[in-house]
Amino acid sequence: MTSALEAVSLGKRYGHHWALRACTLSIPAGRVVGLVGPNGAGKTTLLHLAVGLLEPSAGTIEVLGDRPGTGPATLARSGFLAQDSPGYARLTVGQHLQMGAWLNPRWDGGFATRRVADLGLDLRQRAGTLSGGQRAQLALTLAIAKRPELLVLDEPVASLDPLARREFLQTLMEVVAAHGVGVILSSHLVADLERVCDYLVLLVAGRVALAGDVEELLASHHRLVGPRRDPAAIPSDQVLIESSHTEKQTTLLVRTDGPILDPAWTATPVTVEDLVLAYMRRARDGEAPAASGLAVVR
Amino acid sequence: MTRFAWLQARTQTLTSLALLAGLGVLAAITGVHLSHLYTSLVAHCQSGCDLATGRYLSHAGFLSQCFDLLARVGPALIGIFWGAPLVARELEAGTHRLAWTQTVTRRRWVVTKLGLVGAASVVVAGLLALTVTWWSRGIDKVNTNQYALFDRRGIVIAGYAAFAFAVGAFIGTVIRRTVPAMATTLAVYAFTLVATTAWVRPHLLSPATSTVSLLHADQFDFASSNGSALTIEAQASGPPNSWTLSNRLVNSAGHTTTAAERAAFVHQNCPTIGIPASAPSAHANAGPLPGNTAAEACRTQASKEFHLVVRYLPADRYWTLQWLELGIFVSLALVAAVGCYWWVTRRTS
Repeated sequence: MTSALEAVSLGKRYGHHWALRACTLSIPAGRVVGLVGPNGAGKTTLLHLAVGLLEPSAGTIEVLGDRPGTGPATLARSGFLAQDSPGYARLTVGQHLQMGAWLNPRWDGGFATRRVADLGLDLRQRAGTLSGGQRAQLALTLAIAKRPELLVLDEPVASLDPLARREFLQTLMEVVAAHGVGVILSSHLVADLERVCDYLVLLVAGRVALAGDVEELLASHHRLVGPRRDPAAIPSDQVLIESSHTEKQTTLLVRTDGPILDPAWTATPVTVEDLVLAYMRRARDGEAPAASGLAVVR
Repeated sequence: MTRFAWLQARTQTLTSLALLAGLGVLAAITGVHLSHLYTSLVAHCQSGCDLATGRYLSHAGFLSQCFDLLARVGPALIGIFWGAPLVARELEAGTHRLAWTQTVTRRRWVVTKLGLVGAASVVVAGLLALTVTWWSRGIDKVNTNQYALFDRRGIVIAGYAAFAFAVGAFIGTVIRRTVPAMATTLAVYAFTLVATTAWVRPHLLSPATSTVSLLHADQFDFASSNGSALTIEAQASGPPNSWTLSNRLVNSAGHTTTAAERAAFVHQNCPTIGIPASAPSAHANAGPLPGNTAAEACRTQASKEFHLVVRYLPADRYWTLQWLELGIFVSLALVAAVGCYWWVTRRTS
């Protein structure tokens, strides 16, 4: 099975600034991938590279086994929802569906009409007068009705209120369940992704800080609390991600595939948010370059 | 893609076609009236034709200026409102990310949009040109020079529109913002037109030359400027309805003369004529003056030594020049369109 996204030493430069660099990633197909990272981490750049809106400055990227944006065939295979869900303000909802039908040979008109009706959108209403949530839903409908194999969503819920956010993600999960389509969606809020994603990619300052299956990541990371000691003394099969100390106590976040044997430690499971924050701090403090960070995950 | 491009361009195209239809009706009604006037006043006039012509023109004055203005600003408006926003508005609103991720390549997207709206621009400008040229045909016949309205009549207007549209599209693609792109488009278009009028059009066709005796010149004076010595100044124009490009005063040996050489001639041959050094016609009204006979003698003498060589474009080269200028602007439009295509497919994200 081909990967959803395969990047090798991928880089994108704007002038002298590298928005994304040395990015090596292999995302399996059919997953719901959360792309997390602080603002300006390169999430949008990576997604634009994935749908062919941008050309790499270095390295290569393949989506579903093809270089993105090279022709109608590759364009047809991925659906994209850009940040802020742009739509033609002066065209109506119905005209947007018409556009989808004209511009996409695999267009699923029945689905689009049904979804728009379910959402309670008026076909004659202009897109410019829709609320943010409605616009996002319309854009999602367009992206899905294109019948892609991979949906790429750039901060789809960032501008939505909590209710619209929940509805949007619900729609998304229904589609994933019904059509088995792969999804890559980005957000700077972990909470948005925790509920829907089964694969996680963390970008910090243009580099991949962490990538992997969410369950595997959670299973292999532990928070250890015990009496104060030197964190360098942990067993060799454990990798220290983060440590903090009080006068009497040491708290560690470690990654290991083996069990925690030392009875001095109290091991507790970690949440996705814990992981993301720990790796973000680690990347920010420059303790681990991207390459070894990745090795840790594997 | 064509259907979608048409969906986006439909409103603006139909609106301008409706406006053109309104203009056409106005032109038809007033045009028929005007041609009746032409037939009754000017066409068969035997005497007092200047008066008849004046009366005829006074009937058309305001409308005629409106039509001239429309012919002048029409292409500019097309460049500003159709060309500049074509890509810039998409980039500004972010809708290019929607359009370019449908199952249509960027290449096809930009070619279709440029082709469709570009064709609409040429058609609309062509219809405008046709209306204005048809409506003004009587007035243009009466007015002395067809070349004076060269850029407001005929097929060149369609070429201007094609150029304005394509250059607007290119500028919009590069600047990425609609309003600054509109302003820049207007500036570039206006500059190109002015530059063409001043520096290009006069050199497009090789002119005819004719030799005119000073005695038949439109103007022939002894004059001095800034207190320098008295010299000979003369002007003549080409045949009716031709475009006079230049006048040269040539001596009997066939060389173009400078003002200083002619001053030397005056000083040598007619030392008696002097200040005030105005045209003999001015003296005629003031009665016979001592210098007048001397001036007359000098004029005769000067006309033996000097003559005027006039370079002009004959009246029958008008349509050749129109086609040539159309070709130039269509070529410029193609260059701008290719630039727009290149920028969209290579440089934009």
